[in-house]
Amino acid sequence: MNTNVKSGSLVKWAVTALAVILLPLVLPNSYFIRVLDLVGIYILLSTGSNILTGFAGQLSMGQAAFYGVGAYTTGLIGMYLGWGFWQTLPCAIGVACIFGLVLAIPALRLKGGYLTLLTIGFGEIFRLVMNNWVSFTRGPSGITGIRTVSIFGFELATKTQWYYFIFAIAALGLLYQRILMQSRVGRAFIAIREDDQVAELTGIDITRYKIMAFITSAVYSAVAGVLYAHLTGYISPDSFTANESNFILWAAIIGGLGTYLGPVVGGFVMVVFPEALRALGSLRLVIFGVILMLVIIYYPKGMVPFFQQLGNRMGDRFHKGARKPRKEGGE
Amino acid sequence: MALLTLDHISKTFGGLNAVSDFSMEIEQGQICALIGPNGAGKTTVFNMITGVYQLSGGSISFDGQNLKGVAPHDIVKLGIARTYQNIRLFKKATALENVMTGFHCRTKANMFSIVFRRKKTLEEDARIRAESERILDYLGMLDKKNEMAGSLPYGHQRLLEIARALATQPKLLLLDEPAAGMNSDEKKELIAIIQKIRKDFDLTVLLVEHDMELVMNISEFITVLNYGAKIAQGSPGEVQKNQLVIEAYLGKGERK
Repeated sequence: MNTNVKSGSLVKWAVTALAVILLPLVLPNSYFIRVLDLVGIYILLSTGSNILTGFAGQLSMGQAAFYGVGAYTTGLIGMYLGWGFWQTLPCAIGVACIFGLVLAIPALRLKGGYLTLLTIGFGEIFRLVMNNWVSFTRGPSGITGIRTVSIFGFELATKTQWYYFIFAIAALGLLYQRILMQSRVGRAFIAIREDDQVAELTGIDITRYKIMAFITSAVYSAVAGVLYAHLTGYISPDSFTANESNFILWAAIIGGLGTYLGPVVGGFVMVVFPEALRALGSLRLVIFGVILMLVIIYYPKGMVPFFQQLGNRMGDRFHKGARKPRKEGGE
Repeated sequence: MALLTLDHISKTFGGLNAVSDFSMEIEQGQICALIGPNGAGKTTVFNMITGVYQLSGGSISFDGQNLKGVAPHDIVKLGIARTYQNIRLFKKATALENVMTGFHCRTKANMFSIVFRRKKTLEEDARIRAESERILDYLGMLDKKNEMAGSLPYGHQRLLEIARALATQPKLLLLDEPAAGMNSDEKKELIAIIQKIRKDFDLTVLLVEHDMELVMNISEFITVLNYGAKIAQGSPGEVQKNQLVIEAYLGKGERK
């Protein structure tokens, strides 16, 4: 039975991996692959949001700042020092840790709406500084000419190569999320989300774990920012607006806060839908907004729990005679 | 020496004296009760012991250590666990996860070790999973382990709070109105459970309770609070006969 379940999930993973590998080969042109590259970046961003908001319960609407921290660290280090991806990545992670801590310290005292306002303010301050500190960041005109990534002398040139690179990193990000959330640390995050006072009285140093949640989330977003900067070669403050923060949070919500695969579904929906609706012209964001509202009204827990329910129901119908026990845990 | 000593503690909120000059000692292995009418300051005392409130005066020592300035999560680590008057579980986590969370202060895994010392982490996790299951089994609710804590029936939620508290491996267990909302059969069961865990987990128990039947049945030593001050202490028999206690609960009769 146990080996059966294991080999079953192995097959599932193998099929998923194969689909991810083959996907760019069946798409008609590089425009679609470029969209997928952005989906990969969004998966990382919404995983960061998911860990902080979905698992640790700290609502952040300033995630674009961390995203920008990654992108700007890359851009500025490239511009001033001429370093490439492998040097900027650890620097960006370091800077993200500092910014995560900077936001976490005031956030420790706040909850609910006040925390939300704080995070919005944090995101806006970051954007405004990048926008107005012209002598350092070149302000609104942004930073151009960011080099692509080279791996052992092999430069990522095509969108397809980028796709594999980004999705490999996104997969690592998702894997770490899973490992983290099934560990002692993840249980502490969930305890804080559920009732932080009781978490403290159950022996969890909530100050420390809240800071850890902010930093983890900042690092995920910053890695996404580093990839974004190298992918597009150009960054400006316009990419890291409050609207971007909203999109990142929405991706986590639409996918399903506190689910392992929510960020994948959410990242896909938030990137692909606006592109797919392009034919609608100026109405597209209105329609997209309506779609999001409908999803959140009818499936407030997000798409992943909805698919799971659907899967269970179909599974039940399928195995009418010999009913299988439902899968343990794994929400 | 007493396991827990409250030495002339007081707590004021603005001008209100919630607890004033209150002293109490609890001996190792005892089951003690803290009783008193509504608003007498019982839960405030619990919050002072567990570090939620800073003391306005006096001191608390536990197991030979002064608790002044010790953070609540460190107090748990020293060996004080509690349950709550209104059940406060991690509702959207399973019963098993609730208990496993209780082992937090007895385990070590961190953000890096879960990757780089994977084997050790998995061993630790498997160990606390097994121990958590043992606790659930001990309390007769192993079959509920994968249910969301918030969807369990009331009685099981009460037990799960005790299970989570036991998982922190306490020396002293504080029970805040454990019998609230229970019928008399359930109360009898609860009495048996408290006596059983005291013996099997080598515990000292302090409970706050309104239910006199339960208190008189189970306690070896009772302290009575009224308006934040101690008005009586002693064995159940002594306390029941105490004139001040009777007045606190029933009011003073008019002299004729």
